[in-house]
Amino acid sequence: MKSRVIVITSGKGGVGKTTTTANLGTSLAMMDKKVVLVDTDIGLRNLDVVMGLENRIVFDIVDVVNGKCRLKQALIKDKRFEGLHLLPAAQTKDKTAITPHQMKNLTNELRQDFDFILVDCPAGIEQGFRNAIAGADDAIVVAMPEVSSVRDADRIIGLLEAAGLRNSRLIVNRLRSKMVRRGDMMDIKDILDILSIELLGVVPEDECIVVSTNRGEPAVMENASRAGAAYRRIARRMMGEDIPLPSLDEPENFFYRFKKILKMAR
Amino acid sequence: MVAAIRETASEIHLNLSACNSFEEMKRELERRLSLAQDCSWGSRISITAKAGKLTLKQTQEIKTFLAERGLRLHDFIIKSEIRGEEENDFFENFSHYEETALICRHLRSGNKFFTDGNVVILGDVNPGAEIIAGGNILVMGSLRGMVHAGASGDEKAIIVAYRLIPTQLRIADHITRPPDGEVVLVDSPEMARIRSGKVCIEKLKI
Repeated sequence: MKSRVIVITSGKGGVGKTTTTANLGTSLAMMDKKVVLVDTDIGLRNLDVVMGLENRIVFDIVDVVNGKCRLKQALIKDKRFEGLHLLPAAQTKDKTAITPHQMKNLTNELRQDFDFILVDCPAGIEQGFRNAIAGADDAIVVAMPEVSSVRDADRIIGLLEAAGLRNSRLIVNRLRSKMVRRGDMMDIKDILDILSIELLGVVPEDECIVVSTNRGEPAVMENASRAGAAYRRIARRMMGEDIPLPSLDEPENFFYRFKKILKMAR
Repeated sequence: MVAAIRETASEIHLNLSACNSFEEMKRELERRLSLAQDCSWGSRISITAKAGKLTLKQTQEIKTFLAERGLRLHDFIIKSEIRGEEENDFFENFSHYEETALICRHLRSGNKFFTDGNVVILGDVNPGAEIIAGGNILVMGSLRGMVHAGASGDEKAIIVAYRLIPTQLRIADHITRPPDGEVVLVDSPEMARIRSGKVCIEKLKI
């Protein structure tokens, strides 16, 4: 299989880029793929914390591009899965420490050893963003069902297209089906209307995410987690499997359907 | 050799107290600045010099020299040559360093502190902060971040903290981290040092 460099981005901060990167990377590794997660959020690194690998960091991405160490030395092997690796960002530098050109060379070097290279993009549209997308083949745009997040996602999709990444796919994160049903939250259809890109998956709001983030264990390892299950399905879709998306018109809740039938009967 | 205090590469500290003449000092300054590539345009710089070695004119000359390289002279530290005479047995086992930097604030994520000598921190060191010292490191607070003592290869360097719960500890060439999944609650000062080739953590007893 040809290796893919996929950038995970959103524009807005706090919508779940890092969580998505960690969970998708872990589920791909659970399917015996060779995966490397690249944290490009230099100065505000988080991916290492979410993966629970913070205390293993010796070298980082800036050391690699500056030739202070070899790429292999900076890659941190995950403690749970054989094929999973992390290339951490530097914390004491800033986004200007690397250039898009260096990033491109770096991702090309990683292609030789890995099936999936997932690049965790920082929030914003400045240099950090330009670095992150420099070597990417595909983009995954993460958006939350709220106006500001969708607005930023729209801008990001435009910037990605301008950079030649025309096949971005969307993950809608932290969807609360109850609120959608009440009409208090944008539903998937509204979001797709505006963004008009392919939907890769929907991740429900889930308290497990908070727990797993704090523990440094991605939620996909937790069988009971609904968000984890959603991420596992998304990863299978990324592998090219045909996993149906939840129906957009009708929430899958049994009671809701039941109520609807009753209403129709009346 | 170059000691540098940095917070996003904005502050540099050079120790030139070993130089005996002004000419030697100037040459050394030029050499070290060419080595320290990290010092960016507009950086603040502090220089430590031997007592009674500089005239006002010479100070001015150094200022102009630095200005040409985009550096601002922040402080001249004139070092006197007084040294403590009484020494406790406890400390005789450890390497002696001329200088000790005192930091009176919390070091937060992204802060990096780098010096040739010892460091004493009156505050915490949070995860994501880094201290690299040629000598010993003493944290009068919680050490949660990464510290590197004896960075130039001194295996006798020690790390002491009121609460030692680091992300990673480095002494000389040794790198250690706390074991996975084990939460140890410490409520007494601890000391880390190398014993028979391994980093050991023990209760601090003086």
